[in-house]
Amino acid sequence: MNLWRLAVRNLARNRRRTALTGGIVVFGFTAFALAGGFMAQSLEGLREGTIRSGTGHIQFAHPGAFESGEFGSLEHGLDEADRVEAALRGQDGVAEVLPRISFVGLASDGVRTIPFLGMGLDPVPEARSMDYPKTLAAGRWLAGRDERGVVPGTGLAAALGVGVGDTVTLLATTVDGTLNALDVEVVGLAKLPIKELDDRYVATSLGLASELLSTGAQVSRIVVVLHETNDTATALTALGSSLRAAGFDLTGKPWQELAPFYGQVRLLYMGIFGFMGIILVTIVVLACTNAMLITVTERTREIGTLRAIGTRAAAVRNMFIAEGAILALSGCIAGALLSLLVRFVLNHSGITLPPPPGATQGSPLQVKIYGIAYGAGALVMLVTLVLASWIPARRAARMPIVEALTHV
Amino acid sequence: MLLSQPVLVAQNLASIIHSQMNPTGTIVLAGEGLCRTYRLGSTLVPALRGVDVEIQRGDFLVLQGPSGSGKSTLINLLGLLDCADAGRVLLDGQGVSAMSEEALADLRRDRIGFIFQNFNLIPVLTAAENVSYPMALKGLPDDEIRRRARELLEAVGLADRADARPDLLSGGERQRVAIARALANAPEVIFADEPTACLDTDTAAGVLDLMRTLNERNKTAFVIATHDPHVVARARRALTLQDGRIVEGS
Repeated sequence: MNLWRLAVRNLARNRRRTALTGGIVVFGFTAFALAGGFMAQSLEGLREGTIRSGTGHIQFAHPGAFESGEFGSLEHGLDEADRVEAALRGQDGVAEVLPRISFVGLASDGVRTIPFLGMGLDPVPEARSMDYPKTLAAGRWLAGRDERGVVPGTGLAAALGVGVGDTVTLLATTVDGTLNALDVEVVGLAKLPIKELDDRYVATSLGLASELLSTGAQVSRIVVVLHETNDTATALTALGSSLRAAGFDLTGKPWQELAPFYGQVRLLYMGIFGFMGIILVTIVVLACTNAMLITVTERTREIGTLRAIGTRAAAVRNMFIAEGAILALSGCIAGALLSLLVRFVLNHSGITLPPPPGATQGSPLQVKIYGIAYGAGALVMLVTLVLASWIPARRAARMPIVEALTHV
Repeated sequence: MLLSQPVLVAQNLASIIHSQMNPTGTIVLAGEGLCRTYRLGSTLVPALRGVDVEIQRGDFLVLQGPSGSGKSTLINLLGLLDCADAGRVLLDGQGVSAMSEEALADLRRDRIGFIFQNFNLIPVLTAAENVSYPMALKGLPDDEIRRRARELLEAVGLADRADARPDLLSGGERQRVAIARALANAPEVIFADEPTACLDTDTAAGVLDLMRTLNERNKTAFVIATHDPHVVARARRALTLQDGRIVEGS
């Protein structure tokens, strides 16, 4: 009769208590796995949303462009954008290379004039790799690199009182300091997820922005979109080397540095998840320790008998710890199955989460199968149960034999 | 009762001389000047007050006396379940007081058996597994454990009940399983504290017959604490305790 078989039989002895204690483990593990999966899914959604909302995976610009801010970066614009694009295109892992001109100006319908944040871009590859071309509320996305049309945010369009097919005047300061104005057609309206951006945003073709600002072939930055987000660090190094080899002195920044709020949100999630985890573990420890203490008390005379017939104190202690470990492992297996079932139900429930701060659109509730949460949950439950068993087991092992044998 | 250092030295010396006078080693266990006091709240209750006792190989010794006379306390001390406040226990002439908990556990496993009033079988184990348990603790090979458990259950007349759990056994059957378990590692001494107290007269007689037979056949010493006159009548040797002292027998 080995230790584990004896532990299994002892657990089967009081089925109701074992089921209750196991239920706590199942609940704890399920909560851990689901919360971890939800957090991972949310962070992944936030990460990809950040990248696909325009940031891309890596941005290249002249040194100093990043310090001057995105909309002042034409002072440090790239003059040989076509050659830089060519050097980046076709490199391993690169999905798209997106030249952009960022600028500010005034938009007017002849009556009202409202400041805007303009983005001159190459519409076709942008539509392939970014989300905002897909958020059209009306009309269509820009069709070509030199199209004389604009897609403003719905908030800006509403403030100007213009719709698809209307003409607006864009005013901006050219790179040599003169004021320039162009009449352009509104070809579509984009509903951007962040309201503040929706109220100010105007997408134009690269050619239109270049004409308005008289930049010639100059662009503000070049955005690189990769096939895999996890390759960002290696791609940054490799692409930087390629550009240096081609004679360009450019600075590359990964998306994490360009969107620091992602790191802040991640820390916030970790804090909330950690706090919940501590509460969960505390509840499991207290409940399981209590159950194990009752078990030890009930089996005091048996412990005395085992010690009397030659069982070492450590073996008695190990017997209770084995019971805790078996309970933890079986609880984790049941918890994993339950969490998969709950995940399936939640993911098919059609529940939509409210939009995060600053955003206008909610997202569907999705819980990911997050291996780390399952692994960490199993480890936490195992350590918790072993700890919860160890305390009463130690007490049982140290009990004087005669006292244990006469326990009533 | 606390003994002074010179008295202890003298007792040690006597023990050495005594063991040299018994070169055949017939004395397996001995207690010398055993004292044990329990604390009940703020009151100290002396349970043993300087008891000397020797257990020989093949002995069938009965400890009798009224409740509270110190019978169980003496069994606990000689069975290495408890430590004396004064005096010492000698196993093969060697003192055990300096031994570690682990060493004492190994001695109980290998050289001492116990039979309890309430049988104290492990409820989740079958009769065969209960008998096998001490052998498994000792690390005997599985084949040998199975063979010996079967032989022991046959010896106590329970071969056909090997797979029954204790809750399916009668009181007499449980006590016979307990006897088989006590014999598992072929100990030199088996301590039985009121082994017939929970049994009816006929069953008690059967259990007693069994212990006597095993004692004669295996030369295993039995030390039995009892109130039962039938047990006393079957004893080869009897000691009467009263108020923590031996008042009759030697």
